[in-house]
Amino acid sequence: MIDFSHVTKTFSTGEIVLDDISFSVNPGEFICITGKSGVGKTTLGKLLIHELTPTKGTVIVDGEDLSKMSSRDIPRLRRKIGFVFQDYKIIPDKTVAENIIYSLEISGYDRKQIPVRIDELLQLVGIPGKGNLFPLQLSGGELQRASIARAIAANPPILFADEPTGNLDKETSVEIFNLLRRINETGTTIIMATHDVTIINFNHARHIHMEDGKISFDKENLKSEAEKEASREEQQDTREPKKIKKRKIKKIKK
Amino acid sequence: MQTALKNIRRSPYQAISAIFVVSITMFIVALFALVSVASQEILLTFETKPQIIAYLKDGHTSDQVSNLLTQLSNTQGVKKAIYISKQDALELYKESVGNDPMLLGTVTDWGIVTADILPASVEITAQTPQSFPSISTVLENSDIVAITPQGKKEIDFPQDVVAELTKWTNAIRAAGLVLVAALTLVSILTIIIIISMKISGRRLEINTLKLLGAKNFYIIKPYIQESFVYGVSGALIGWTMAYIALLYSTPFLSPRIGSIITFPVPFIIMLILLACMLTFSAALSLVSGFFASTRFVKRSK
Repeated sequence: MIDFSHVTKTFSTGEIVLDDISFSVNPGEFICITGKSGVGKTTLGKLLIHELTPTKGTVIVDGEDLSKMSSRDIPRLRRKIGFVFQDYKIIPDKTVAENIIYSLEISGYDRKQIPVRIDELLQLVGIPGKGNLFPLQLSGGELQRASIARAIAANPPILFADEPTGNLDKETSVEIFNLLRRINETGTTIIMATHDVTIINFNHARHIHMEDGKISFDKENLKSEAEKEASREEQQDTREPKKIKKRKIKKIKK
Repeated sequence: MQTALKNIRRSPYQAISAIFVVSITMFIVALFALVSVASQEILLTFETKPQIIAYLKDGHTSDQVSNLLTQLSNTQGVKKAIYISKQDALELYKESVGNDPMLLGTVTDWGIVTADILPASVEITAQTPQSFPSISTVLENSDIVAITPQGKKEIDFPQDVVAELTKWTNAIRAAGLVLVAALTLVSILTIIIIISMKISGRRLEINTLKLLGAKNFYIIKPYIQESFVYGVSGALIGWTMAYIALLYSTPFLSPRIGSIITFPVPFIIMLILLACMLTFSAALSLVSGFFASTRFVKRSK
């Protein structure tokens, strides 16, 4: 679904933010990209939505090489990827509902269905009845939830959450993580960039850790590793009796 | 459109100034259009009316007049030649000025207009303007045709009137065009400045919308609609102002050019004018709005 292949990003100042990064994301995966601030996590997201272009390497989304994408096709790409911004980017003089409506209108959502969809989304992200409030009237956690609601409003297949818990307390951060997990369970691919590893439940997420613009490790989630291990063992168990049976048959024949 | 109207409500003074400038432009456009059409109509009337008027000296006899009329009737190309006495001239004058006390002289120091001060004349209708030279020869040779202080026979030829009118019409058109062009430019710049100010204040919103995957047209649409509202409102106000001005000046214009142009001006003409003004202002505002908004949207990533 997403393929970063030998991606390098150098800024005009000469600073290398990403250095030969390669990884792939399968549909429905939940990936946590961790690393210190400034390690290049946000740059990865910006490359994904073509806000930036790589200096070297290719980024492929849904089979489309973004370096070959014309500027006309960029809106179409961005509609495929919901983006939860580090600074929320909630338009301050619009209500929460109006912010969500933008996202729905952009994706061509049926106008008649918009009020129903807004109620669903606010319910899902845990701020029901707050659609008519302005961003100034919301807490940090509620703003983050509103930002997530806007990002997933049109059911994009991919969601990139850039430091979604950056400004939140531990308890709210865990709630946001669990919310992203619930969204992932509906089939949405989630890429979450964060510097806070304490909130991640690695049972449910693949973990890519970055250091100095490079991937230092890429671990599958513990649950799927355990499942794979279990299935490997199962395969071995089912193979062994066959061997035994064959040996026994040979012995009997002799 | 709701977003556009909301934008207007949130900054009413900017909207008022834009609509005011467009209204003034449209008012001048309407006046200029009416003057152009009227002058064209007047020119056409004179061009298609091959009529010569020769003013007669005071103290001419009826024999002299009938002699001149006979001569003219025998001239090739003369369709009709009639004598307008001083009394007839007064009647015609009264008929043309209506009850205007100023023109009838009842309220001036000059005294009431009487038959004595008006000259008798001979009106000759030619079949075509080509017969003017032969008619002119007859009139030039007549003793009863009045002479101007410059020593020329006092004869009004339509081509003289047309030449004079054309000169005036062209001058009015040139001045009007310059004025309209200048005001149009001012309107375009005003709309561009106002829309640009609004967009620059909403840069965060535009950047966010682009990151959410909005197409450029989705982003600029409310701004184009807003400038369209300015244009259309300006056209409606300008047209209303022009119509009121026209109705107000009808009593003044009617006696002077009422024989050529129908007063009050038919409403259908005003509706056609409104349609033209709406088209013009819509084009003007759409171009300005589009120019102002695309400049900003293209810049943001």
